[in-house]
Amino acid sequence: MKIFSPSFFLLSIKVSLVSLVFSLQVSKKAEREISKVFEIEQAVLVQTLEQDMPGIDQDRLYTVFDQGQALGYAYVGEASSQTDTFEYLVIFDTNFTVKKAKVLVYREDYGSEIGSKRWLKQFLDKTPDDRFAYRQNIAAISGATISVKSMTNAMNNLMISLASWQNNGEPNKS
Amino acid sequence: MKQLTVICVLLSFFGFSQSMNFQNSAMRQLSNLENSENRITLGGYGEINFNGYDGAPNEIDVQRLVLLFAYKFDDRTQFVTEVEYEHVQEVYVEQAFVNYNITDNLNARAGLMLVPMGIINEYHEGPTFNGVERPSLDDTIIPTTWREIGFGIAGRSNELSFRYQLYAMNGFVSFNDDNYILIGSDGLRKGRQKGAESVNSDINISAKIEYYGLPNIRFGLAAYSGKTQTTDLDNAATQVGLTMLGADYRYTKGRFSSRGQWAQTRLKDVAAYNAAGNKDLGSTMGGYYIEGAYNLLPLTNRQRLDIFVRYEDFDTHKKTAGGMTANPAYHRKETTVGFSYHLAPGVVFKGDYQNKKTAASDDVIGQLNFGVGFFF
Repeated sequence: MKIFSPSFFLLSIKVSLVSLVFSLQVSKKAEREISKVFEIEQAVLVQTLEQDMPGIDQDRLYTVFDQGQALGYAYVGEASSQTDTFEYLVIFDTNFTVKKAKVLVYREDYGSEIGSKRWLKQFLDKTPDDRFAYRQNIAAISGATISVKSMTNAMNNLMISLASWQNNGEPNKS
Repeated sequence: MKQLTVICVLLSFFGFSQSMNFQNSAMRQLSNLENSENRITLGGYGEINFNGYDGAPNEIDVQRLVLLFAYKFDDRTQFVTEVEYEHVQEVYVEQAFVNYNITDNLNARAGLMLVPMGIINEYHEGPTFNGVERPSLDDTIIPTTWREIGFGIAGRSNELSFRYQLYAMNGFVSFNDDNYILIGSDGLRKGRQKGAESVNSDINISAKIEYYGLPNIRFGLAAYSGKTQTTDLDNAATQVGLTMLGADYRYTKGRFSSRGQWAQTRLKDVAAYNAAGNKDLGSTMGGYYIEGAYNLLPLTNRQRLDIFVRYEDFDTHKKTAGGMTANPAYHRKETTVGFSYHLAPGVVFKGDYQNKKTAASDDVIGQLNFGVGFFF
């Protein structure tokens, strides 16, 4: 996997999530959170993948750059809640260790508990070698079962996809 | 919940072609197709139960079948409704409200809504609770499914792991067409108006806060206050004041789960109401239940087999007014033991035995129940 060179991405129009598949609301929140986690002014985001990988669409995974240096990765996913879908953000360091998991936009009342910082902490410091299972190593939230299972499965599948990608010699952990 | 996109149904059902003044129906249909993903949601839940009684004929019933429709107008605006069939032939609208998302932490909503009180009134799909029948406390003290028309705000804080709801709603009817409606055995239950041509004379306030910031457990605290509704505004004896408080918890860790609930209602002006209507309404009613369950199957299994026990103690004559003697038959104690076999997420087969008695005698009434419940 090739990460675009700094000279290339500076010219690229794809430096902002806004121009991509996500709504303005999702993009803004994602960018704000990424900048906050890496403690930088304005993150420069470049698609990590040149094409879709099994389980990971190329427009969902970004390499985070600041002043030409790769700081880590950000994944924006979508999962189902009871009657709608929600977007979530997972921020990784350069070794794909989870630095932050956050629900960006949740569109209904039922199940909104999964946005709880306290609950999402369970995913911190996990790597693609970790697996998540509802009620086994991920706590339930009564009244939010559908969304909790959905987020747990989404995180688990993401880790499986990242692991298989890494095992195939990718990504370039520069 | 499974999301289905049903454009044709959607167009005819919601009649968009008439409401859009800058697009014809075909244009609207096209733009709907473009944005159709997840706009409409269909879902449902239901329970089909067998009740075997001591010394009385058994009953087999499609207790309820509820069809849920939700429509998303845009990212902020959603309409949710549940159409319910009870006992096959009674049709109700259980919920019908518009939710408008103002900020991440604040929604405004209006319409026919569930009153946030206790656990079951808001979370009552068969696979979400143990026991073929709902807890009796959630029938007699909290009259589930309790819903009224109103408006208010709801939201949560991700930072504080806290959820809130605050509504102004219509209340129970205590007097309608020369009839005094509320009685001692089930308190407020017969006063539910369910949003059907309901009488309104006084606004009631309903609020609930929930905290889920500790691992595996969540707590709820609810309050409801106001006056009952009457068609005779000149006769004060046709109304009572009420304040209901509720507290609940739900705990889940590994194969063990537990929940409990306490609720109490204090009523005012009951003596005059009882005298005018020749009724036996209590002035304080309330009680609690506590339940524990254990999953016999390994957590890695897709299925779950919970065995559970629940104890309930509640009384609709905890206190009486006007010198009325409390009826000990209204003080009920029930133990339920059974299983919930979750065949797949969303489908449960349940069985239990209930041991019911009152403070009036040592006689025990047994009841055997079996049922299937589903939720999608």
